[in-house]
Amino acid sequence: MATVRFPLRWVRLNGSGGTGAMPVGGREVVIDVQDLRMVYPAPKAGVAPTVAVDGVRFQVGRGEIFGFLGPNGAGKTTTISILTTLLSPTSGQARVEGIDTAAHPHDVRRKLGLVFQKSTADEELTGRENMALQAGLYGQSGPAVDARISDLLQQMELASVADRFVKTYSGGMRRRLELAVGMVHDPKLLFLDEPTLGLDPQGRAGFWRYIRSLRESKGITVFMTTHYLDEADQLCDRIAVIDHGKIIALGTPKELKDGLGGDILEISVQPGAADLAPLVQSMAGVKSVARREDTYRLKCSDGERLIPKVVLASEQAGISVRGVTVAKPTLDEVFLELTGHAYREEGEGPAPRIPPGDAGAGAPGGDRP
Amino acid sequence: MSFPAISLIRREYLRWIRAPTWVISGLMSPILYLLLFGQAFDLGKLLPPGTPAAALAQALSGAPNYFSYFAVGMVAFASVTAAMFSGTGIIFDKQLGILQRILSTPISRRSVFLASLVFRGILTLIPAFLVVGFALLLAHVPDVAGLSLGAHVTALDGVQFLVAALVLSVAFTALFLSFGFAAQRIESYFGVVTILQLPILLTSNAMYPVSIMPTWLQYLVGFNPISLAVNVMRMSLFGTSGYPYAAGIYLAGLLAWAALFVGLALLLASRALRTDVATPGGSALSAAIAE
Repeated sequence: MATVRFPLRWVRLNGSGGTGAMPVGGREVVIDVQDLRMVYPAPKAGVAPTVAVDGVRFQVGRGEIFGFLGPNGAGKTTTISILTTLLSPTSGQARVEGIDTAAHPHDVRRKLGLVFQKSTADEELTGRENMALQAGLYGQSGPAVDARISDLLQQMELASVADRFVKTYSGGMRRRLELAVGMVHDPKLLFLDEPTLGLDPQGRAGFWRYIRSLRESKGITVFMTTHYLDEADQLCDRIAVIDHGKIIALGTPKELKDGLGGDILEISVQPGAADLAPLVQSMAGVKSVARREDTYRLKCSDGERLIPKVVLASEQAGISVRGVTVAKPTLDEVFLELTGHAYREEGEGPAPRIPPGDAGAGAPGGDRP
Repeated sequence: MSFPAISLIRREYLRWIRAPTWVISGLMSPILYLLLFGQAFDLGKLLPPGTPAAALAQALSGAPNYFSYFAVGMVAFASVTAAMFSGTGIIFDKQLGILQRILSTPISRRSVFLASLVFRGILTLIPAFLVVGFALLLAHVPDVAGLSLGAHVTALDGVQFLVAALVLSVAFTALFLSFGFAAQRIESYFGVVTILQLPILLTSNAMYPVSIMPTWLQYLVGFNPISLAVNVMRMSLFGTSGYPYAAGIYLAGLLAWAALFVGLALLLASRALRTDVATPGGSALSAAIAE
């Protein structure tokens, strides 16, 4: 997708409303968050308190992969910390498997597995010893647990390095070990906080494969935060987009992208040609037309089918078409539309899209499995 | 103790057995003191010739020679030096996120604290035993002063010696653990610990008899937990004559210190391990999350 931005006025998505707000297909609700607020007190007088999470509400159904997408500082880690009992909310309620996280943290901890942003394995121990330690912290030991540890290490393709010290592991191995450690007590619910941070594209794609394989083999529900748009797009069944502590959109990746009005057709014509806009505006499926010099940008449904019509009509009108591209909208566009600013790291100014150069590859459109 | 706590102790053990270097560094000072200072600085030789042996023994609380007197002090010093490392593990666990992982599991906060105290307390005892053994061995080396026991040391005395060493270890392990729970950085931890080390040692009777000190210092020394432990240990090995109180009184005083330090450690640990509130500086965890 071209990075040239046109001053299009797209239909604004309706916050947390719409069909995407509830788990699909009448699934059992595993995570239920109501009006969650988290305010960190001011570190000193004269500084405003930080509102990290500002009235967040959503539900996650059994078996879903639910993505929490937003830039750094948007409130993702605070939310996941509340859900996993590492923080108590200022107000509001979070229920995990029906249990209030603030009132009964101990019971909630038994129900979930957690994979942190950073590697939390003990470097001086082997992968297997880290797994055994984690199992022990849940009060589990014995041959059955040892067998499960071996199975998980196998599934994460760590069997060959299981008895090496973690300090010798590569970044990808560490991430996989974190995942295995988070799964060691056989939770039905897995929380992942920026699980692929710092991995190269190949490592990330691999990691997604492991997540999917865990979901398929164990039927777990996954709640993950990410600031990678393509990751949310590829991996998640539903996505909540969070910015400045508020959920600004919630739905399946397809719903979010469709909300933008469908495909984008870019047509460049011979310089000095007559205006194409009146010609194409009336065509079926075209929602809006924007022009910059000799390039037209059409928002339309079913872009591929429109191409021959547009080209034919143009040629008949004596306008010579030099090139046509069709692009499916990406979550990047969704984010831009919702927030009015391009997707970027918080506090970094208008940085390149994240991941750089990867946004196009992550835009295969709404035809997800 | 619950099973999860045993898992934590096992982890600490595995880490320690693979990198036991600090035991050596913790032992260095006491061993050097025994080998050099203890050999050179014989208080008995400073007495005028012809002083009766009984007068020397009285000054040295019944010890047959200065080295034996001094060696018991070094046993206590070895424990305290070793305990200085007790709080380091918890700081690294905080910094590396390992503590956060542990706290995300159902293990009780009390178990996390107890596992640290038990394992570190035992580790702190090891150097004490090594110093006793080393000092006893030196007695068999020609031309070298060594630790000689009193004539009537019974098994019960041995137990009393062990109890004093154990309570002292627990007390200082708890004290330094509490600094570990409170500190966010290893530099600030060792800053505090290093400042404390010498005053704690020098205001005790580990190296010289109380009787030669000015009165104001005697008061200070009398309440020092090292002095209380050393009193009980010396009474166990050299007899009880010359002490104003019974061994039980000193032991009670030492226990009071231990209770105070364990209480302090519990308080600071529960602050450091709490996950339910976010107050600036209140919890390492919430501070890390807020960043």
